[in-house]
Amino acid sequence: MREALLVARREYLERIRSKAFRISTVLIPLFFALIFGVGALSGKLSGGARHVLVVSNDSQLAESERAELIAADNAAAETRRDPSSRLTVDVKAPLTQDDLAALNAEVESKQIDGYLWLNLRPGTTRLEATYTSRGSADFVGRDRMQDSIGHALVREELVKRGATSEEIQALLRDVDLKTQQVKNGTAVAADASKGFWGAYIMAFMLYFAVVFYGVNVAHSVVAEKTSRVFEVMLSSAKPESLMLGKLLGVGAVGLTQMAIWIVFVLILSASSLWMTFGLGGLAAYGVTPLQLIFFVLYFILGFFLYSALSAGLGATVSQESEVQQFSMIIVLPQVIGLALIVYILSNPGAWPVVLLSLIPPCTPIVMCLRMAAMAVPAWQLALSLVLMVLSIYGMVWVATRIYRVGILMYGKRPTLPEILRWLKYS
Amino acid sequence: MAPLVELDHVSKAYEQKVAVRDLNLRIEPGTMFGLLGPNGAGKTSSIRMMVGITVPDSGTVNLFGRPFTRESLKRVGYLPEERGLYRKMKVMDQLVFMGQLHGLTSEVAAKRAQAWCERLQIVDAAQNKTEELSKGMQQKIQFIVTLLHEPELIIMDEPFSGLDPVNATLLQDTLLDLKKQGRAILFSTHRMDQVEKLCDEICLVHRGEAVLSGGMREVKSRYERNRVIIDFEGDDGFLSHEAIAESRQYPGHVEISLKEHGDAQALLRAAEQHAKIYRFELVEPSLEEIFIRTVGEKVDA
Repeated sequence: MREALLVARREYLERIRSKAFRISTVLIPLFFALIFGVGALSGKLSGGARHVLVVSNDSQLAESERAELIAADNAAAETRRDPSSRLTVDVKAPLTQDDLAALNAEVESKQIDGYLWLNLRPGTTRLEATYTSRGSADFVGRDRMQDSIGHALVREELVKRGATSEEIQALLRDVDLKTQQVKNGTAVAADASKGFWGAYIMAFMLYFAVVFYGVNVAHSVVAEKTSRVFEVMLSSAKPESLMLGKLLGVGAVGLTQMAIWIVFVLILSASSLWMTFGLGGLAAYGVTPLQLIFFVLYFILGFFLYSALSAGLGATVSQESEVQQFSMIIVLPQVIGLALIVYILSNPGAWPVVLLSLIPPCTPIVMCLRMAAMAVPAWQLALSLVLMVLSIYGMVWVATRIYRVGILMYGKRPTLPEILRWLKYS
Repeated sequence: MAPLVELDHVSKAYEQKVAVRDLNLRIEPGTMFGLLGPNGAGKTSSIRMMVGITVPDSGTVNLFGRPFTRESLKRVGYLPEERGLYRKMKVMDQLVFMGQLHGLTSEVAAKRAQAWCERLQIVDAAQNKTEELSKGMQQKIQFIVTLLHEPELIIMDEPFSGLDPVNATLLQDTLLDLKKQGRAILFSTHRMDQVEKLCDEICLVHRGEAVLSGGMREVKSRYERNRVIIDFEGDDGFLSHEAIAESRQYPGHVEISLKEHGDAQALLRAAEQHAKIYRFELVEPSLEEIFIRTVGEKVDA
């Protein structure tokens, strides 16, 4: 054990001091910030003061529509937290064919951002609605605009039938649909989209961390193989200690890096900078403490499972470049989890999903997703942990056998039958 | 006292190839032991079994009079043929780390490492990263790694390969010092001249088998002194003497192989009558010749 700890310490210190560690600590969150930031940013770019015209041959309808659009924008502004992008709506009516051409020119020259042409056939309630703007995608939102037109029509019809504005207001109020989730026998408020985001981020973090650090172990093994340092080490330490030390060392680096990021996130979430990104703390994503505990557990178990596999595979090759060839094996079971993300979240209790969540290589990601979507039965959680621990044990057993033979083999890459024969060597 | 290393009928085969066949070998304390043989003879395979990196298919390996255990490796210093160091580590950190792996505390390891660096004249490099050093320097560091924990048994696979003559001499002297302190040293080489100078005992392996082993003097005495070197001036008529089997002549210098039981003294008398003799030497066979003769015989057999 002393040997394993010495090896782990050396591995840890060398990695922590390396340039690669510093670069990845900075670049990886930047990468994620970029992915999430682009989404947030694209919403902002379309912001700024916007000016839309409502034109109609029915001036009352146009007024109603104007009121609806502004109300919808006010509601959207609540979540957008950006007062600068208020929508200005003007009404113009009635309209001739020449006016339409002039409006098109105004849109073209960016005097207005777009206009909504509401053509009410005389004597009917049939309405032709056309929205014209510069872009094909639209900031007001197709759905919201369609809703507002529907509302405006109903409002106008109600006014014609003599309803008061209070009555109309009451009739047209949006229904706020609350969703609930049964957890541990009681129904608690759940926000589907929040839960989804939390699970999504955790699954990605798991995927990324396990692949990244797992492959790191392989690189580290191959690096020691190419520098031929193994033989010296083997004369003073058991291959099992060397491998264990390596896993612990690289794993500790992973945890350190995660810790740095978490501290960074906590500082950011306390600052206003974080708020402008519109993201809150973990709780805002519907992540419960239980989920967090299992996230850490699955991270550690997943890491050991994949890095033991990776150490064994790393021992079979002689050159860094060959590591790429087998990183596919490591990525595949996790990609299955990520590819089925929507199915898993919407059917967290279906038997194929339950089965998948109990298959150790898939467990971390699939179980994390399931936990976000439902209260996973305790026996399933317990079983998944037991299965993972057992498979880690098996994987370490296989990997050390491959490792102790493989690290002294150079040159030609062994075939699968050869590797199987290594397992029998003592 | 029990021998430090005892291989008893040890065999090892890889896939199809037999690397070591029925090898017997004993190393006593305080001896310098040379393991000789051409490339691929099985030297490294034998050494790897002594330090437990591989396990023999049959036969036993005893270290310090007991069957092999990892515990006894604490008393062994091993320099592998393939040199390997952590490239990104500083020399001193590396030495301390390796010392700790061998059971030293970091203070002791650091102190000894410093002393060794002074002795092998690499103090200036101690704070550099290993990858910045020349190959010879790295080899010296590897050498120190082997010796840091003051092993009683030192096993070195090709310790002199890749060293310039100055450094090779430095290492040879160090090994001789260690021997004087009572350590047993085994090293493998295919350079016969080093073995002749340094070793008390030798074992010559060829195709996985020991073809010749024993004390250096004893091995040599098994072979007749049948080479003569003469430096002379004058008539070379004596070269037709009946004792000569073969001769190679250079200006003023001739190297002669005698026939079996050829009389060297008679040759000397004959030469004296023809020419002025500056040097007449009856040379014992070099290990190289013995090697070629022995291996040659095996090939014929």
